[in-house]
Amino acid sequence: MKKIYMPSGRKGIFKIIIITAVTLCLMAAFTGCSKGGAEQAENKDGYVYVPEYKEFAVKMRYLNEITASGDKAYAVAMVQDEGEEDTYRTAFYEYDLLENTAREIAANLNDDVNVNSLLVSADGNLVTAVNQYEYEEDENGEATDVNMTMELRRISPEDGTVINSQDLANVITNIENSYIQNMCEDGQGNIYLCDGEQGIHVVDKDFKKLCDINADGWINSMAASKEGDVYITTYGENGMVLKKVDLAAKKLGDPVEGIESGSGNVNFFSSTSKSLMQSTANKLFLIDLETKTSEELFDWLDVDIDGNNVDIVGELSDGRMWTISREYSETGDKYELVYLTRKKASEVPQKEELIYGALWFDSLTRRAIINFNKSNEKYHISVKEYGNDYDGSQLAQFNADLTTQNCPDLIGLTGLDFAQYASKGIMEDMYPYMEKSGLNKEDYLENVLRAYEQDGKLYGITSQFYIVSTLAKESLVGEQTGWTLSEMLDFVEKNNPENVFMYGNRESIFRFCIYNNIDEFIDWESGKCSFDGEEFIRTLEFASKFPEEVDYNRDEEGISSRLRSNKVLLMENTVSSIQEYQMMNGMFGEKVTYIGYPNNERNGNLIQPSGGSIAISSKSKNKDGAWEFVRSILSEEYQDNLVEDNYGWGFPIRKDALEKQFEKDMTPEYYEDEEGNQVEMSKTTWGYDDFEMEIMAASKEEVDAVRELLKSADRLSGNVDSQLTNIITEEAEPFFKGQKSAKDAAGVIQNRIQIYVNENR
Amino acid sequence: MKLGAGRRKSLNEISLERWDTVVKRKKRWRLRKKAVGVTLKTVIAACFAILFLMPILLTITNSFMGASEISSNYGQVFATNDSGGKVYISETVNLKFIPDMVSFSQYITVLLKSPEYLFKFWNSVILVVPIVVFQLLVAAGAAFGFTRYRGRVKEIIFFIYIILMLMPYQVTLVPNYLVSDWLHILDTNWAIWLPGIFSPFAVYLLTKYMRRIPISVMEAAQIDGAGEWQIFRHICMPLCKGAMCSIAILIFIDYWNMVEQPLILLSDEQKHPLSVFLSKINAGEIGLAFAVATIYMVPPILVFLYGEDYLVEGITYQGGIKG
Amino acid sequence: MHFPKSRKKEDGLRIMEKNKKATAPLDKRGKRINSNRRRHRGRLISIGYLLPSAVGLLLFFVLPFLIVVYYSVIDNPISNQFVFLDNFVMVFQNAAFRQAAQNTFTFSISAVPLAVVLSLFLAMMLESRIPFKSQFRTFFLSPMMVPIASVVLIWQVLFHFNGMINELRAVFDLDKIDWLNSAYAQVVIVILFLWKNLGYNMILFMAALSSIPKDILEVAILESATPFQIFFHIKLRYISSTILFVTIMSLINSFKVFREIYLLKGDYPYDTMYMLQHFMNNTFSRLDYQKMSAAAIMMAIVMVIIIGILFLTENYFGKDVEG
Repeated sequence: MKKIYMPSGRKGIFKIIIITAVTLCLMAAFTGCSKGGAEQAENKDGYVYVPEYKEFAVKMRYLNEITASGDKAYAVAMVQDEGEEDTYRTAFYEYDLLENTAREIAANLNDDVNVNSLLVSADGNLVTAVNQYEYEEDENGEATDVNMTMELRRISPEDGTVINSQDLANVITNIENSYIQNMCEDGQGNIYLCDGEQGIHVVDKDFKKLCDINADGWINSMAASKEGDVYITTYGENGMVLKKVDLAAKKLGDPVEGIESGSGNVNFFSSTSKSLMQSTANKLFLIDLETKTSEELFDWLDVDIDGNNVDIVGELSDGRMWTISREYSETGDKYELVYLTRKKASEVPQKEELIYGALWFDSLTRRAIINFNKSNEKYHISVKEYGNDYDGSQLAQFNADLTTQNCPDLIGLTGLDFAQYASKGIMEDMYPYMEKSGLNKEDYLENVLRAYEQDGKLYGITSQFYIVSTLAKESLVGEQTGWTLSEMLDFVEKNNPENVFMYGNRESIFRFCIYNNIDEFIDWESGKCSFDGEEFIRTLEFASKFPEEVDYNRDEEGISSRLRSNKVLLMENTVSSIQEYQMMNGMFGEKVTYIGYPNNERNGNLIQPSGGSIAISSKSKNKDGAWEFVRSILSEEYQDNLVEDNYGWGFPIRKDALEKQFEKDMTPEYYEDEEGNQVEMSKTTWGYDDFEMEIMAASKEEVDAVRELLKSADRLSGNVDSQLTNIITEEAEPFFKGQKSAKDAAGVIQNRIQIYVNENR
Repeated sequence: MKLGAGRRKSLNEISLERWDTVVKRKKRWRLRKKAVGVTLKTVIAACFAILFLMPILLTITNSFMGASEISSNYGQVFATNDSGGKVYISETVNLKFIPDMVSFSQYITVLLKSPEYLFKFWNSVILVVPIVVFQLLVAAGAAFGFTRYRGRVKEIIFFIYIILMLMPYQVTLVPNYLVSDWLHILDTNWAIWLPGIFSPFAVYLLTKYMRRIPISVMEAAQIDGAGEWQIFRHICMPLCKGAMCSIAILIFIDYWNMVEQPLILLSDEQKHPLSVFLSKINAGEIGLAFAVATIYMVPPILVFLYGEDYLVEGITYQGGIKG
Repeated sequence: MHFPKSRKKEDGLRIMEKNKKATAPLDKRGKRINSNRRRHRGRLISIGYLLPSAVGLLLFFVLPFLIVVYYSVIDNPISNQFVFLDNFVMVFQNAAFRQAAQNTFTFSISAVPLAVVLSLFLAMMLESRIPFKSQFRTFFLSPMMVPIASVVLIWQVLFHFNGMINELRAVFDLDKIDWLNSAYAQVVIVILFLWKNLGYNMILFMAALSSIPKDILEVAILESATPFQIFFHIKLRYISSTILFVTIMSLINSFKVFREIYLLKGDYPYDTMYMLQHFMNNTFSRLDYQKMSAAAIMMAIVMVIIIGILFLTENYFGKDVEG
């Protein structure tokens, strides 16, 4: 038998040396990194947090600042005193969180004072950074110059007496452009003032300046840990990183490893049980900086709170947690004080669980789901967000789940090709459900429903939508809505503009011509493609006449004047509100036609769901539950609410709500001039590029035009497979770069797309 | 071995004298012709070698180029379009072996500035090493099972192994996803490990090899009173050592380059191996890609340096038994 | 590593065997029965060795394959209606599938024999006494170490429309060829495949060649056989089983070339590069599992036939040499 092989001779020894050396190096490199591995301990063990929503003891219009220490919170808010309408004043409160009562502190804040930042010092006093404005007035009493001073004050929470103060001009060099966005106190009583852009300024407890600490880049948040250190977050190479402020070295430390930061809205708060608390859009974590571990406390969605809206979180001495959630609304922000009690899951009445699965979880749906969860007694929706990477692996997982028992009950269609998924039978027809629960088809915009129809079945829906379109002057293109590709090419060639679009380049112009018009080149019946045909080659050559690169920095005349002088003919834009329509007409200087994207059927105005389309999975085991949710977003209440709060982007799909929207847009707003006359004033100001316009109440004609437009569109946008557009973009590029002839490029496109077509027949 | 011995004997019958003179004469006659032949062959081999070595050299040398040099060489080769797909356009492609200025900036970025690459490298190790070790162990057992007491049923089963081995992974990837989900190992390393460990590839190779061990060797041991375990442990395993090593290298290389399995079976990007990252390089990271690729090549190179002789020897032995 | 655990288990097995061995000689019914019983027991034990692998294979390969079979006879994975052979008819009539099958076939039929012949050629060259033999061997193996992503990157630089190859052609006043977007695409892929696989195949052949008994060759030289005769009548005969082995290995690897094509050109390459795996991959991502499964099963059937033929030939030649 043969002996076990032993490398011998010089070559062998050499090899062994190399191998050993490299192995040692590698091992040395990795011992360092294996230690820092992020460990996520899930400590749920059958406990859940139960939310309890409370009214604020103070009725406020706006919450300027809030900070907390133990069971006491201190807040500066804009309040309205009883009997005094339309006037607000800034008030200072001490808030007892256990009792949910408030006591106003007589801090003597007048109109010219703005509390920038607030913290509770270890000695029990409050430290505030206050802006004081002084107006220099001319003889008529008009303010001519504003003089701003910024002061750091230590005040007593009892009666608001100022114990100590310091003009921050002595601390911050460029005080005029500074804003103290955040303050923290460390274990020694030093106070860290965070000025978002310039860095951190540190003063001792007597407000004597210690040093400035520079931060490269924007500081997102700052928080003091339980151990008495101060940490900040900034944007690193891969999302947010947490760094310790090193006072001794006067610089920021290295990023803390093992703390998953994510890239979204991440905030850190002080904690009493562990080092810090971390709140992301989705979850709340407790962070232990010593072991570098983070422990998930709960999912914000499970307590019916939008993590993006969380203003502050804290722990109370009775074991509960509290948080303030702030929701934007046109009629004033809405605040909610929420107490969270940890309970055994078995003690909490369980609702039937529904799953909403989507590649991307949009904020409109998030809001709808939170509202639904809060108000519905029977069902609770949890969310599975797959993510939307370009490599398609998340899509593959999403697809795999759709075919198995893991199938979500509700499907979010953002980023998916609706027509393709509808044709696979993945989605449930919603018309029978509408009928059953007494929702009238006629109450909703038929064209939008039609866009979601396939063979008379309703496979998806949205609560809100807008139109994606292309604009041109009516005097040039007439009143027609829609045109074919050749009509569009003829039109542009006849008018011979400098450019088709303001910032058009070869690729974007080509994309405009082709991407929403793919069916012109593919005959699905016969499986024939005509990408090597005359029309396509003409389009390629047409696009190549325009600049290859756009020079955005070129100093040239603005968009409005170029449009008016026909140097630029078309504009791609949305119709998301009447105001936008008004602005566009103003910008073109005359009436515009929403002619849309070129295509054979001449219906190039596309419906774009805001948020995302929602469908019920045909594999769902709880379709009635899923329908409950869909019904909730179609309900009169919800649709009206979209109009009232002006939430989201676009128009409601319920006709009544749409009319309410129009009514709102047509209602003029007035102010009283010196003689006491009612004068109509602008509702808002809209701008595009260099153009700006004050928007007045809409006229009936304008509303009618927009209504017509909304009703004319019956195709969903974005229903072209990115596979196709990628091939076209990739292979048209060599032609635009002048490397290939249009015919050759078209030939390759034809070849590759032909496979796609063959495969999908 | 027996055959060889027999032939040697027949050679001995030739008279030594005749043997010597004839062979020497023939050899001399061929020597001159051979000198030309050897040079020619060396040149051909060298040409091939250059072709074969080029990519590996290119990767290594380019990893020492600064970002600016990389972008000037491959300037527009790798431009990314809006949707993230790769578009390859270029004015000039400049294939360069020697950097104008040696720069370690790429390595500094990879090794020191962004630890994620090292994490991913570590992930690769974590994923691949257990597969190699346990696939070999499982396969050794199975190969032994196939070698001993061959019968019709076993032959059919073995044929099934081969068919499954030849199936492209696209076919079983989805069902694999379903099975993993059913076993609740989705999104864990087990989803990669288990299918890897039970892959029929090593079973096939090792069985092919083991079946070449003359039955007589095992039978002799059996007659001497050795049990199946002893035969396996003390006869088969030592004989197969070389083969096991060479198969280990093949498995290692194969899984070290895996892309699809982690993509679909591990949704957590933190767990993805470096090979997945490498396959997704885009325009901005092209310089980094060379450095990462070079680092990623280190283990395969080590494995080769260690195992090349095993690789050759493992297969040589197979022939040895036959002859 | 994990050896101790498995050894402990096997130790138990050994003790069992020992006990049985102790009782065996006491059996008075004669040696023949004894040996039969031993054989029977040995057979059972050998199945025991096979078991872990077989169970794993069942779970992670056979079961998924059965799921594929199920998908191939239903209309789609959502409604799961039984449609019998409709999918097969549909897929067989699909132009894309036919294109893919044809491409895969032409690729395999051209690349695999080339890989066998060229690697045998290289092996023969290294067989003769040329300097730096072992270095050359290492160089030829080096492509196995390069991460696929780097390979693809370098292939882009070479075969891009404005790549190195076209620049070279320009020197000789030849027209540019769009290698990756023309009928030449398959040539590029074959070259890539050969570059990757020649080294390992060569090693296999070198091993086989070196195992041919020297005496036979020397006798042949003695008998004034021409090198041509030696090659065809002796060498080829002795390495015939290796040729079949290399063919199977190359066949396996020829299916793996999809990954490179995919990284080069994405889901829908130029039609000459469009392989069966593309078809399966794309139909999978479009949730047309039934199409994917039907295609996979047709591919499996063809594979069974090819492998069957290869095995029959191997058995035939293998016996020829041994006998």
